[in-house]
Amino acid sequence: MPELRVNGGAYEVDAPVGTSLAEALREELGLTGTKIACNEGHCGACTVLVDGLPKLSCITLVHQLDGAEVTTIEALRDHPMVASFVRADALQCGFCTPGQIVSAVALVESSPEPTSEEIRHRMAGNICRCGAYPKIEEAIRTWRD
Amino acid sequence: MARLIRTEKEVEGRYEEVWLVVEEDALEQWPDGPLKIVGRGAPRVDGLERARGEARYTADVRLPGMLHTAVLRSPHAHARVKRIDVSRALELPGVRAAIGPGDIEQLTGEPGYQGAAVAAVCADTLAQARTAVAAIDVEWEELEVVVDPDDAVRRGQVHDKRERSRGDYERGLAEADVVVEGTYRTQTVLHNSMETHQSVAAWEGDTLNVYISTQFIWGVREEIASELELPQDRVRVVCEYMGGGFGSKNDPGDYTFIAIELSKRTGRPVRCALTRREENMAAGNRNSTVQRLTVGAKSDGTLTALGGEFVNALGWSGWNASTEGPMQMLYACANVKTTTWGAKVNTPPMKAFRAPGFVEGTFGLECLMDELAAKLDLDPLELRRRNYASNDATDDRPFSSKNLMECYRRAEPHWARRDEVRARSTETVKRGVGMASQIWYGGGGPPSYAWTRVGSDGRVTVVTAMQDIGTGSRTAMAQIAAEELGVPLDWVTVSLGDSARGPYASISAGSSTIPSMGPAVRAAAADAKRQVVEIAAQRFDKETRTLDVKNGSVICSDGGKWPLEDVVGLLEDAQILGKGARGPNPTGMQVLTFGVQVAEVAVDVETGEIWVERVAAIHDVGRVINALGAESQVEGGIIQGIGHTLSEQRLVDPETGTILTRTLDAYRMPTIADAPEIVSELLDIPDAHLTNLGSKGLGEPPIVPVAAAIANAIRDATGADVRSLPISREEMLRALREARERERRGAPAAV
Amino acid sequence: MELLRPSSLDAVDGGVPIHGGTEVVPLLRDRIIETERLVDIRGVVPSGVSGRTLTNEQQLSSDNNYQAVIIGAGTTLAELEASTQIPAALREACRLAASPQLRNMGSLGGNLLQATRCWYWRLKFPCRLHGGDRCHAREGEHREHAIFANDFCASAHPSDVAAALLALDATLRTTTRELSVADLYRLPTEDDRATTTLEPGELILEVDVPAAPRSVYLKAMDRKRWAFPLVGVAATPERTALAGVAPIPWLLEGDLDAATPLPQTAYKVELAKALVKRARAAVASG
Repeated sequence: MPELRVNGGAYEVDAPVGTSLAEALREELGLTGTKIACNEGHCGACTVLVDGLPKLSCITLVHQLDGAEVTTIEALRDHPMVASFVRADALQCGFCTPGQIVSAVALVESSPEPTSEEIRHRMAGNICRCGAYPKIEEAIRTWRD
Repeated sequence: MARLIRTEKEVEGRYEEVWLVVEEDALEQWPDGPLKIVGRGAPRVDGLERARGEARYTADVRLPGMLHTAVLRSPHAHARVKRIDVSRALELPGVRAAIGPGDIEQLTGEPGYQGAAVAAVCADTLAQARTAVAAIDVEWEELEVVVDPDDAVRRGQVHDKRERSRGDYERGLAEADVVVEGTYRTQTVLHNSMETHQSVAAWEGDTLNVYISTQFIWGVREEIASELELPQDRVRVVCEYMGGGFGSKNDPGDYTFIAIELSKRTGRPVRCALTRREENMAAGNRNSTVQRLTVGAKSDGTLTALGGEFVNALGWSGWNASTEGPMQMLYACANVKTTTWGAKVNTPPMKAFRAPGFVEGTFGLECLMDELAAKLDLDPLELRRRNYASNDATDDRPFSSKNLMECYRRAEPHWARRDEVRARSTETVKRGVGMASQIWYGGGGPPSYAWTRVGSDGRVTVVTAMQDIGTGSRTAMAQIAAEELGVPLDWVTVSLGDSARGPYASISAGSSTIPSMGPAVRAAAADAKRQVVEIAAQRFDKETRTLDVKNGSVICSDGGKWPLEDVVGLLEDAQILGKGARGPNPTGMQVLTFGVQVAEVAVDVETGEIWVERVAAIHDVGRVINALGAESQVEGGIIQGIGHTLSEQRLVDPETGTILTRTLDAYRMPTIADAPEIVSELLDIPDAHLTNLGSKGLGEPPIVPVAAAIANAIRDATGADVRSLPISREEMLRALREARERERRGAPAAV
Repeated sequence: MELLRPSSLDAVDGGVPIHGGTEVVPLLRDRIIETERLVDIRGVVPSGVSGRTLTNEQQLSSDNNYQAVIIGAGTTLAELEASTQIPAALREACRLAASPQLRNMGSLGGNLLQATRCWYWRLKFPCRLHGGDRCHAREGEHREHAIFANDFCASAHPSDVAAALLALDATLRTTTRELSVADLYRLPTEDDRATTTLEPGELILEVDVPAAPRSVYLKAMDRKRWAFPLVGVAATPERTALAGVAPIPWLLEGDLDAATPLPQTAYKVELAKALVKRARAAVASG
């Protein structure tokens, strides 16, 4: 039974090998802030931090985590990036937004004042079908305002 | 007074004659321009819960005892089920029920496209359901597959053929000094809402609760009730947060009926959610088109004839969207003749996708117009002005409002950047500017209703069973109510998304949510405000005509001022209730939206790489409610349009009809790195004839002209005529080669 | 299914190796890979970039700023993207590969071993790569497919990184041998449909990249980011290698006129020519 370390807590998860982190978060821990949109690693909606790095929880196997610390949107709810997204109107339907914010938080952790080019490079793995991109860029540029 | 009228109702350019009960809205429109709250930018009122991952989408609905469904979808594009056996599936662990062809109408024994639902299994877990579906034993008889729409038309395999004509097209052509012809092709594109199509069905006593990701709560309710022969109030439809639809979620879909049936059989709540791959097979698409177009014009640019033969590849079913619409409607031309075939092919059925027909038709028409301008050596913007339609080009009806000429005027500074943009070209990277006009519906209509509740603390709740599909309608409704009631925006809550908890509301399609719902919300707020004023008049012994509500206070023309909560405070835990209805559209008038976009591109003429660098969008959609949200709509429409123009394409195996691009590595929607600079300008001129708001819809207009503006900019930059979407490297390099050959032969390049 | 987590190479015994999982997990779900045993090799495959100890002669002949490096096969593409020690072509290939999240997950070794994006193969058509007797792409939709060596199977190899390492003439150290990157790949044949020469149980451990003061990677894709290459071109003054043009990473010998495009891939020849010209010019001018 793998131990899952999520948002500062530790959980024992009773799941067969092959279970994805996204499934475990949503179905076992009830952390439905992490969304599944493609479930095969192509869209970024399920992005979480694993030891601080944005990764795709839908193709991460829980049995491979081995004590790594997982951070989901639930632990980032009071991060200034959330308010910045709302202020800039950087979301429309909002389904991709938790994943966007997780990626954006990781970006500004490593580069607090990212250039437009950096934002476009580092956020390209989070698809937003509503096309909120200009406002997402603005939200990241102005996240500390 | 309630009035019963027989009227035309329009959604997505489709008209039907319906009986409507409408109530006159007696309110005068607000003065032009931004008001205190309406017309200003407001961040989404539900932004925080969405951004924090707290909003509960259909995908997040978890009910006690809920079962999960997997659907057996036809692997063949055309086949007959000779024999099907679900018994092995039923024996597997966790499996609770299985249904197949004949059990419900939505499961077919003769699928006409790959992805058609054939059988379904529900189980304790999704993994168990999937394993069980794989164990269903089917013997197929494969049938002939036709995927080429021209081939289908030749065989007479058509759903619909529509001929529209005015004037004398042949004579118009004969009178022309110049005739330009072109064949334009648009590809099939997929909606790919981030939240896939899904439902959870749960019976509670004799009531069926359906949680569904939908654009039309009431349409879903009606369709389910009628299919199950239930009284409508025995069906409750819930959609509080919704992860995008773009036209593909207007009806319940097979998954909902599957969930309902399995729920009935098991007595448990049942979820049925499409996977991304199912989504890209079975959830609809913008159908591909072939457009064979002709334009004739006098040497001064006056159009004398417009003709088009359009083939819409609808799929196995679907409706024949108005691809000819822009040709029929955009310009004043006396002689127009179009034929539109809806080809029946063995591909998944189309569904409405953000201005269906007009996105495709505008690409063809507006590219053709630019080719004409080049041939006449006329400025493309000037050519469009010369053929301006002051009344509805099809029947000479007056417009309720049309400010396209003003849009053209506002486009001038962007258009004037041409020389400067072109001058930034290098040996290998050519730059240019192109434009295209936009025409589309978006007037909305009745019936739509809203209620308001004003509590003793002065706080307001708008109650209406509409849905916010992600466009920000919830915020716009809050702004309208706050403006009318004279309270700060954060005093207003909007309760929506549940057919059991509010009155009937419009579909969120056809850019109709704000023009349909906004007037009803304003009327409901006005009704409550009237009561507040009447109460204040009695409490403070004033005449009602001297009272108003501003900024959360009742004010009197004699200088008196009482905080709203002091006025209504005596209600304690009771409330003031207001109700409002959406009035009729103006009779005898055509209600449309208009606009123009100017695109700047760069093209690497050696590699065919295209950069859309800047798009200026000027649209006329009447009064703007939320300036910030409106800008987001414009940007989103343009970016989705860029995907349609450059990188998105559903591919089908020509032999088997297999959908090849089901996954999002192969079906390429724009990323943030593909987004251009976007300048959004909305005229914000209320439509004086349309409702108490003067607002039209904005969901669809911004995507309409994108492809043509980009293609025209590419021609401006390179002289190459791109006539096929997407403008892939292949298409771009082909067009460049063609332009080079034309130049070598000595023919003048297009520009 | 079980997942083993060996801590030494000796403990690795059969099963399907998994590192970042970005390729293995989707292929398992699609049952293109079937196994009862996954072996998490992150504990046994080295990661990180280190300068190689050079002989005196090599030191004399090499520019001090450009040192040969040894890269652990477990190094992620994101780590390589950020590394200033590796040649420009490799760094750029990593930067333009996949998406940020995938680069945080995917390892160098896994990237070299990724399978084609051919939709027929991914959808499990009974094609030649799956052991069948026809190439569905050749007669069907193949706009993203091969222009070289596409007679038997028209799939295109998607690895940007492999093309870069091929142009850089890198060497691999595996659990059993040393071989050039070129020798890792083989064209599928009637008798053997594999596209790599890796033996069952053999793991790539390290990649030895010679010093390359001048190298470049250019990539044409459908989006500005996060797409597999239509054509990728890696070049050093000595070698040019291409991604997306053949069933395996393709070392360009001779010119592109030798290509045998299919009807929908003729554009790739033109595209590749333009990129090769640019890439070669870039490394020639230094």
